[in-house]
Amino acid sequence: MCSQPIYDVIVVGSGAAGGIACQVLVTAGLKVLCLEAGRRIESGRDFHTHSFPYNWTYRGHGKPGQYGKLPQGMAWKIEEWTDHLYTIPDEDPYALAPGAKFTWTRMRVLGGRTNCWGRECNRFGPLDFKPRSLQDGWGEDWPITYDEVAPYYDQVEQFIGVAGDDQGVYNSPPSKRLQPAFNLRCGEWLLKKGAEKLGIKVRQTSLAVLSQPLHDRPACHYCGGCNWGCMVGARYGSLDSVFPHLEGRPNFTVRTNAAVHTLLMDSATGKARGVAYIDAENKQEYEAYGKAVVLAASNIESIRILLNSRNRNSPTGLANSSGTLGRYLSEHVAFTGIRGFFPQLAGRPTTNDDGPGMSSIFIPRYNYGHQDKKTYLRGWRFNISTGCGMGPGPGASLPGFGTAYKKKIKELYPAAFHISGYGEGLAFDWNYVEIDPDGLRDRLGIPQVRFHTNAEYPHAFAMRDEMYGQMEEILKASGAEMIPYKKGVPYPLGSVTHEAGGARMGNDARASVLDKWNRCHDVPNLLVADAACFVSHPEKCTTHTIMALAWRACDHLAEEFRQGNV
Amino acid sequence: MDGKLIGRRKALKYFGFLSASAAGAEFLANWLPGSREALAGSAPGGLVAITGASQSEVAASDKGSVPQFFKPEEFSTVEMLTEIIIPTDDQPGAKEAKVADYIDFVVFSAAEFEPKLQKEWIDGLGLVNELSSKKYGKSFPGISPSQREDLLTEMSGPEHDPKLQHRGFAFYRLLKAMTLEAFFTSKVGLMDFLEYKGLAFRTEFPGCTHPEHQA
Repeated sequence: MCSQPIYDVIVVGSGAAGGIACQVLVTAGLKVLCLEAGRRIESGRDFHTHSFPYNWTYRGHGKPGQYGKLPQGMAWKIEEWTDHLYTIPDEDPYALAPGAKFTWTRMRVLGGRTNCWGRECNRFGPLDFKPRSLQDGWGEDWPITYDEVAPYYDQVEQFIGVAGDDQGVYNSPPSKRLQPAFNLRCGEWLLKKGAEKLGIKVRQTSLAVLSQPLHDRPACHYCGGCNWGCMVGARYGSLDSVFPHLEGRPNFTVRTNAAVHTLLMDSATGKARGVAYIDAENKQEYEAYGKAVVLAASNIESIRILLNSRNRNSPTGLANSSGTLGRYLSEHVAFTGIRGFFPQLAGRPTTNDDGPGMSSIFIPRYNYGHQDKKTYLRGWRFNISTGCGMGPGPGASLPGFGTAYKKKIKELYPAAFHISGYGEGLAFDWNYVEIDPDGLRDRLGIPQVRFHTNAEYPHAFAMRDEMYGQMEEILKASGAEMIPYKKGVPYPLGSVTHEAGGARMGNDARASVLDKWNRCHDVPNLLVADAACFVSHPEKCTTHTIMALAWRACDHLAEEFRQGNV
Repeated sequence: MDGKLIGRRKALKYFGFLSASAAGAEFLANWLPGSREALAGSAPGGLVAITGASQSEVAASDKGSVPQFFKPEEFSTVEMLTEIIIPTDDQPGAKEAKVADYIDFVVFSAAEFEPKLQKEWIDGLGLVNELSSKKYGKSFPGISPSQREDLLTEMSGPEHDPKLQHRGFAFYRLLKAMTLEAFFTSKVGLMDFLEYKGLAFRTEFPGCTHPEHQA
């Protein structure tokens, strides 16, 4: 043991939270070891962004049945473009309690899920950090305010590069203007005009996609294949934007294929002294030692490590004296959207609508107040996609076949739209994850989790109904025609890849796992820097807040080192 | 201006960035036909047309060959059925996109993980012949083109009216879904028919250029 180095900080994970943690801690001069469970990849070699469906043997979908039965929200992720990046559930399963559903997206490679993330950067607003006291008295407040997080949103935006505008709306603060926003497509203009007729404001999307070069990263070349990974690093990912700059520094080491499974504890002090991990290639056990440990492995993986670290002093899991570890999991209220077409755009010549691979506008939450008239809590945002895509569009879902059907497809193709939404998901203690009591283990022999999660709760249905009604109003005001649809049931937790919670922050150590600096109440030199810390789940996308909170927590940790407190 | 055309100076700068790393150079060589010429400064005309993946390189499965799964008569029925779903008119259809060949390939490949797909097709083709024989006294390939269309229209009934039922409906939906899938993921369907213009390299994204949509 003594022959091994003792690092200042061990960072577990290299994705949204882990990448930022490394960036902040290494830049502060601390000696950092980053342990990533997956292998090293290279964007130019391992991303196949620029191939068409017909370049693939099975047109991108894999051999029939090759990926097994995929949970909701996974089929569009795991394709021939990307099947070497994602963990295929049937090949390395997780357990579900009877009746439970969970979509767990795992990407065990350097850079984690930032390799294929959604790229949208919403800041949470002041009301989102204080839902109980400033909104409706339900749930819990975060132990921090928007003003405390705002400087870290600024830092993240500057570092990752965000294109957007500086026009915030109520409780949806603007991003710091760094790069010009992307132009609107035809259908986006029509929807914007329609929404504005109803007094609903539309915002330009803030995207972690460069509209101008930044440092050594080129601007977006508008190929639209971002979901398959960006070969040139024009969208932020820690693979290209963090690790190449930190590796080679004497105070930074990355170890890939290092699957951390337990914390090593010093029983005399109650502090963490390192981690134990399995090398995914040679299957050997290793230990690494540090003065502090930052878990940033994604909320479920970080929770799994804490649960698997249970010992005599912490029989239900490390840092779980509150009994809340693994509980209060949350996800957006999401469901099938509405598709259709704009008659004004039908039959027009096709255009290249790929742009930055994401809509240039979205509709932020607007339904504040009037709690006495609502059958649900909080609010939602709407997501829009329009124009000529890589599929036949709305006409294909019409009944019939033959020449008339084919002509209709062609006519409606350039007029397509799709609208869907994310509603605020509520954090319930009965939505939880545990170590599988039946002993399921993952491919490396590490005890695997079992989910007890259900998204089909009354609030979600009430919000869904209201959202469908509002979408229809906006579409009508925009002159759009809808393809007949059936209301969908709320998607399982995890299906938006915005799962959060499970080790929430709080000032009360009896009701939360982490303090306001992401430190475990029970183990002060152990931090959880990923979405596990979320207290509530507003309608906004999650990654930006994950990065801002990781930055804030690690900034504070570095300061504690400077003060000699660690 | 067509955003797919990148000024040569910009292209060279961009290529320079990419070719600075081994991975970038490999990416260029693989995905940008003509990039070597551009780098060597020999591209003609001062403008380099840059498209996405080499569109001429289609996977082997896209090209069509001798059917591997269907027997010759079954295969010609699959050809007839898919060409009714997406016919050839003034635009290419299932025939030009070799939809039947691709379906044959997919159903053949289903043996390993999804053998029920093979049974669905064999049963479905059998059902089509049975329905045809009952109604017209001949199996499907033996009836006239308009009779074939009429039969498919009957099978598709529940699509128009959910109260209707037809025992050929499940196979009709499978046939339609796989025909659409095969057609619109083919080069003929996606590029020639739909005229998809994306997955290209551009220096700017103009978005909507129509004042009437914005006013």
